[in-house]
Amino acid sequence: MAETASSKKRFWLFSKSMHASEVRLAWILILPTAIIVFGLVLFPAIFSVWISFHKIGLYNLNDVFHAPFIGFDNYKAVLNDFAFKWGGPKQWGAWVTTIFYSFISTFITLIGGLIAAILLNRPFRGRGLARSVFLFPYVAPVISVAFVWRWLLDPRPSGVLNHILINLGLIETQQAFLATRGLAIWLVIIFQAWRYFPFAMLMILARLQAIDDTLYEAAAVDGANSWQKFISITIPQIRYVLGAIFLLRLLWTFNKFDDIWLLTGGGYGTNVLPVLTYQFSFNMYDFGKGAATAMIMMAALVIFIIGYVLIIMRNSEES
Amino acid sequence: MSTLNQHERVRKGNFIDHLAKTLSWEKFLFAVGLFFFVSMIIFPFYWMVSSSFKSGAEIAGRAPVYIPSSLRLDAYRELFDPAWKSFQNFGSNIVNSLLVAIPTALIAVVLSIMGAYASARLHFKGREWILNGVLIVYLFPAVLLMIPLFAMLSKISQTFGFNVQDNLVILVLTYLAQTLPVALYMLTNYFRTIPDEIEQAALIDGCTRFEVIWRVTIPLAIPALVTVGIYTFMIAWNEFLYAFIFLNDRSTFTIPIKINTIFNDPSPRPHVVMAASTIMTIPIIVLFLAFEKYLSQGLTSGSVKG
Repeated sequence: MAETASSKKRFWLFSKSMHASEVRLAWILILPTAIIVFGLVLFPAIFSVWISFHKIGLYNLNDVFHAPFIGFDNYKAVLNDFAFKWGGPKQWGAWVTTIFYSFISTFITLIGGLIAAILLNRPFRGRGLARSVFLFPYVAPVISVAFVWRWLLDPRPSGVLNHILINLGLIETQQAFLATRGLAIWLVIIFQAWRYFPFAMLMILARLQAIDDTLYEAAAVDGANSWQKFISITIPQIRYVLGAIFLLRLLWTFNKFDDIWLLTGGGYGTNVLPVLTYQFSFNMYDFGKGAATAMIMMAALVIFIIGYVLIIMRNSEES
Repeated sequence: MSTLNQHERVRKGNFIDHLAKTLSWEKFLFAVGLFFFVSMIIFPFYWMVSSSFKSGAEIAGRAPVYIPSSLRLDAYRELFDPAWKSFQNFGSNIVNSLLVAIPTALIAVVLSIMGAYASARLHFKGREWILNGVLIVYLFPAVLLMIPLFAMLSKISQTFGFNVQDNLVILVLTYLAQTLPVALYMLTNYFRTIPDEIEQAALIDGCTRFEVIWRVTIPLAIPALVTVGIYTFMIAWNEFLYAFIFLNDRSTFTIPIKINTIFNDPSPRPHVVMAASTIMTIPIIVLFLAFEKYLSQGLTSGSVKG
């Protein structure tokens, strides 16, 4: 009796020390990552909130912690900035532009990805190669593809789109497409769809290939045509993937800076919130105002995600 | 004669029947769709590569030149030949990009092996908290972090009296912070698919934890490690915004910043931009094609933010 108790106790002690050393080891292993992520992501994110309530310019950047507290002034300045607020149909302002651009381009990206995935879901010779090629726009560096596009859309005589449209007789003289208000935002949206449809395609394709073939066979027995099969089998099967990609892509498109900056520099009706944040901070050197813009972005995102999750949860409860 | 005609008719009829059978609407739409996608994707890349071989006259002509008359290396010589006028010294930019991307990839692999092993195998409080918390990083826009990072760097430079900007090490750290969370998440999921029993057996045989990681876990996780390494390399190689903000000194420019500089030069030389872009894009495409199997899996698990 005593013997079993003591062996039990020894075992417990042993396991405890084993456990303690395991915990110690775990923290040692995870510490470098934790420090880097905390120091360069979480702390800056919190610091950004602080910056958004202070007046910080280039002159007091070196002495940032003594910057004067100005309450919500930065936020007020952003909300009243003509580049931010709605100024009628000719001057959308960054927040309307951002919402329009992120939703439309996410939608087109998704449709493009869906069509590409359906194409590639069919067996044909060279499918593997085609799949690799389809992913090129997504893996290629943004700077090189953006500058190629700028040249293709260039107003000079060597611009390809101008040349084609003039030869087709659709336009008379050269146009500066990316410098045309109204058109520029659509070109940016098309560029986004061109660059990011492969991401949607890959995810949808993975799901398509997991659909049970017997479903299609049963539908064929019932005399369904391709379109009916698509609507009543394919779409319900990939619904959740589509929803997930839509959310992910929307978040990333919303936050995207490089693509628009490199294509138009945020001019001609394409000024979105990330570009505006950059302009406030690094062109006007008003870091507080820049941070406030970023915080407004972040708040919009969080509200959107909460709303999205709530709707999804309610829908899944109903069904 | 008449029999021959009949023969011909029959054959013709068969041929048209055959055509009608094979050429359904579906196939036609499929072919059109495939052609549309392939040409939309390939053309910009073709334009990039072919334009890098054009001469100045072909660039500034009255119409776009679709096929360069000969493979001129003017643009490449401007990038690499010190004797060329307006020599760009692009070699140093390639070195800078490699100095950023290779350490980022290697360190990311090592640190994420450590972190993922801890969160997949060891039991400690806050494990799930760390894993979920780490994914929140996905939410933070790059533009949100650039302001505080810039302010922090200025402050640190001033306090410690050395230049933190124009420093490639800072870029490596920034890219690590951006990529480690997802690398950690991916590897943790991968480690969880490796049966614990193999490691337990090695532990009972008297291996230490580090020996187990080195001899058992790492060899079994090679595909996932390759994925993480190549992804972080690609992200660091392609990254524009942070490099654009942190680097001011020409000698520290990475490739994207250099391309941006050449592009914004007062005298436009698109062929040079295209040559530099070609040099920047080709290694990425080659890496991607070489490891496509792994990378596609990584993509679907959401490893790339962008």
